[in-house]
Parts: sequence; structure tokens; C-alpha cells
Amino acid sequence: MSTTATTGAGTIMPQLAGLYAIWLREVKRAIRDRGQLIGGVSRPLLWVLIMGIGLNPYFRGEIYGEVRFVVPFTYLQFIFPAVIVLNIMYTSVQSAVSTIWDREFGFLREILVSPLSRTTILLGKVLGGATVALFHGCLVLALARFADITFSLTDLLLGLTLMFLLAFGLTSLGVVIANRVQGFEGFGVFSNAVILPLYFTSSSIFPLDPSLTSAQSKTVYPEWLVTLVEINPLTYAVDALRGAFIHFHQFDPKLGPIVLVVMAVAFFLIALRDFNKL
Amino acid sequence: MSDPAVAIGGVSKRFGRTLALDNVGFDVRRNELFALLGPNGAGKTTLGHILCTILKPDSGSARINGIDVVKNPRAGRQSLGVVFQEPTLDDRLTLYENLNFHGLIYGVPAAQRRSRIDHMLELVELTDWREHLVRTLSSGMKRRLEIARAFVHDAQILFLDEPTVGMDAQSRDRLWGYVRRLRQERELTVIVTTHYIEEVEGADRVCIIDRGRILANDPPAALKLRHGQELLRVVPSEEAAAIDILSAYPDQSIRNDAEILLKSSGDAFTETFLARHGGRLRKFVVEKPSLESVFLSLTGRELRDQAAGARERTFAFGKRGGEHTR
Repeated sequence: MSTTATTGAGTIMPQLAGLYAIWLREVKRAIRDRGQLIGGVSRPLLWVLIMGIGLNPYFRGEIYGEVRFVVPFTYLQFIFPAVIVLNIMYTSVQSAVSTIWDREFGFLREILVSPLSRTTILLGKVLGGATVALFHGCLVLALARFADITFSLTDLLLGLTLMFLLAFGLTSLGVVIANRVQGFEGFGVFSNAVILPLYFTSSSIFPLDPSLTSAQSKTVYPEWLVTLVEINPLTYAVDALRGAFIHFHQFDPKLGPIVLVVMAVAFFLIALRDFNKL
Repeated sequence: MSDPAVAIGGVSKRFGRTLALDNVGFDVRRNELFALLGPNGAGKTTLGHILCTILKPDSGSARINGIDVVKNPRAGRQSLGVVFQEPTLDDRLTLYENLNFHGLIYGVPAAQRRSRIDHMLELVELTDWREHLVRTLSSGMKRRLEIARAFVHDAQILFLDEPTVGMDAQSRDRLWGYVRRLRQERELTVIVTTHYIEEVEGADRVCIIDRGRILANDPPAALKLRHGQELLRVVPSEEAAAIDILSAYPDQSIRNDAEILLKSSGDAFTETFLARHGGRLRKFVVEKPSLESVFLSLTGRELRDQAAGARERTFAFGKRGGEHTR
């Protein structure tokens, strides 16, 4: 039959068109979702302008009678990269949660009976979510001057690359979670059960002094807390972004990017495996 | 070209302890309007889902245009247009965007996409709504949009799963009008599942399915000739009369609340019946063979009862283990 011939001939182009369609849908939906946009703007304002400026004076210690910062930065500068991570995390997980909506309200079927491969469908979905999350990350960057942060163009490009990797990994993680959730319980559950715990244990709002060894840190902080921070992959994501924007590392500088790449690939593959079973 | 549009062979599917499809097989010829008729839970939707490859059968084969969709699902989907029971549109996109999305994921080139979208919107009379968000449409309009959508990729086979459930008579007629016009325009095979008997009168062939088995598969006229029976629809004036009638014709009668249905074997039967019970009836109707009587004689129950209440559906839902109809 003639139909077999046409589907067999060019298999790449239709898949790319489909990828674009799914990506575009994600982006369009996000632009039309006012609530998400309001969250994306108000979150960095609260964290940087209120929390950051409020705690700024207390981020100092007295050593040998001399007042200095625990790490050689102000608190605002210190949490700024972490707020980028937070904003990306919220948006990524939020767009992944939309897969639950698609599943419950049938739109997923429309896509599943199309000639697109499952890989294309998932990739489009994750790329779309990651694009929106990257944009929300950039909303934080707009506040850089309030936090006394200056960076060169190279820093910015490196930072954006790392942010995109993070957004891709987190959106995939969101899809993995969404696939395991039976009904839609509301986004608050995800926020409280996934996002905030990961955020608070990522050394985002308090530093682990880099001059101390892991063992020494455990005398300053309780052992369980240090362990939690050290096994949380987001710790290294925050660290990588700090490297890009304020040139400060608490860990080996190579570790951050490696963890980000591993997260992106691993979570995407797990999501793909789940998706193929659907 | 000798391939049938759709060929189903020996398909079985089991959900837990329920056998949803039991060795089902049939061919749908090109250009045919093929109706799958049966009560809720008969296995129509399961069969449809196997055809559009969201479900794999336990055994058997399903071919679309000669392509085995069990082994090669993606190639089969290209020529198939599907309208599911529940709407599968994106509420937050406009009508145009929904159709354009569909065109893109089916790999339709841009120029063709645009002209087909315009044409299809025109056909289902939704051109004025083109730039509106789908969430602003009524459910009937959504259905029409979904039918339009199936043709953006030039489907040769259209699968409609209970397309008119919950629609008023007017919208139903309109919808069938669109399908008729589409069939005049192009070569189109339509497979429709329904439990509205009046909708399948116009079909080329009716396949009656119940409890996962095919009971009959013939053109409506042939079905009426072979299985159709004259029916007497009577309402006795008192309970005693009802009991008398039921005991007089134990194998030929079915009780349905106040009404009793009797299989009639002809005028002689009717006359004898009236002579014996005529004085104690409030209502008496002779029904000529219809697809409804075919269904009744094949399954021993009325279709309409099965199509009824939300309570029964909830009950059936629970019996299936609370899983969604797949």
C-alpha cells in the first residue's frame, strides 16, 4: 500500500515536527497560565529582596576580634544562585505535573495514538518544560544588580547551560514522579513533599564551610544534616551555579556539572522506561 | 487494493477475571460504514483501543490497510483517525492550535495543514470560533472539532467511539450529517461503536457484540430478515393479568416494569393473544421487525436498559475493579 511507503520514507522529519508541536504546546500553555507566571516573579522577589536583605547583616562571624563573612560573600550573593535553582525547580516540577492532567483528561491519548515514538513525545514534553523553567530562572537573573552580582558574558553562558541541564533533569524527575502518582492531589503536595525538602537540604540557605573537612563540618552541624546535604544532588547543582555566578565553590568545581549531566540523563532514561510501559 | 480496510482475527483480551473479548474476528471493507452495536461493557471500546494500538490483545491479530498494528503500531496509526469517547482536546489552546498540533504530530506539511484545517473547520461549521480557546466550547462543538481534527491528517479510516453519547437529537443528526458529507467527499471507511440502535440503521453492516462475543455481523436488512421478529408491546391493566400473560408464554415474554414484550410469530399469534387477554390490556402495540428486536432476540435483553443509568455504570465500574474503561 502507498501509505506504508510514505510513512517509511522520511521518519526523521515528521518526528521533529511532532517534537516541535509538543514543545510549542508546553510553552504556550505556560505563557497562558497567569498563576505560574505570578509565582515565577514573586518567588525570587521574596527570597532575594526580603529573606536575602533581611538576613544579610547576620551572615558574619567574629574571628580573632575581626568581623568578617563566614564565606567571602554577603548573604544576598550567597543565596542568589540558590534562588535560581528554587525557581527552576518549581517550574520544572509544575510542568511535569501537567502530565497528570493530560492523563486524567485524555489529551495524552491524542498524542499516544499519533505516529510519534514515545521517545519523541517525552523529549518534547521535557524540553518544553525545561524551556519554561529556564525562562523562570532568568527572571531571577534580572534581580542580579540588587544582590550586587556582576558576571561576564562567559559566566552568563556557562550559567545558562548549567541552568538548562538542571531544568531538563528536574522536569524528567517530575515526569517520573507524575507517572507514579495515581490521582491529582494538587500541586501543594509536590511543593511540600519534593521541592522544599530538596531545596532546604541543598546548602542553599546556609553554607558548609569549604575550609572544613566533612568530619569537621559534622562538629558544627549535626551529623545527619551534613549527610543529608552531601547526598542531595541539588547541593552540587547549587554549587555549580555559585561557581558560574559568584565564583565560589564549596566542593570540587568539576563535581557540579558532572552531577547535573548525570541527573539529566538518568532521570530522562527512567522517565522514558516508565513512559514506554504506559 | 484487495486488503480490507480493517481485518480483525481471533482477538482475545482478558482484564483480570473478565474476558472482555473472546476470539473476535471480522473484516471491514473499504468505504464501508461499519457499526459495532452492543450494550455498555460489551467489549466495543476494548476492541477500538486495540485497533488504535493503545492496548495490546492477549492473542489474535488486527490489521489496518494490511499493516499489522499489533506488531507495527506506528505505521498503522497514520491512516487511522480516532474520536474517543471522552474529549481529548487541549482546553487551553485555541481551535486552530489544536488542529495545527494534530497536523504537526502526524507530519502533515505546512501548506496542506493550513488548507485542510480551513476546510474542516468550514465543514463542521466552526470557522467563526477558530481563534477561541477550546474551553469556551460546548460539548457538542468539541465533538465536532474532534471529528474535524481526525481529517487534518487525511485519515482513510475513521474510528468513532460512542460519538453521540450525551448529545441532544439535533446535535446527533448534525454530526451524522458531517460524516455523510465526508463520505461523499472521499473514500472513507467508518467504524462506529454505539448503543443507540436508531443510529445503525444507516450503516452498511452491523456487528452485534455482547459480553465480548460477536453474535451477528450482517447488513441491517439481512439482520432483520434473519433474526428480526415481530414484537407485541403490551401493558396489562392489572398485576393479575401480567402474571397470567407471563405464565401463558413463559419462553416468549420478557417483563420490563409495567410493560411486557412478547415475541410474536405472526398475525395468527396476535389474534389468539388478543382473544385470550385483549380485555385486560391498557396498551397494545405491534412492532414490526427492527434492529431493536434483532438485538432482543439475539441477546435476550433490551439494549436500552443496558445503556441507561449512571448507577449501573458506577456498579459496572466497581465490578471491573475500579479501573477506567480501556
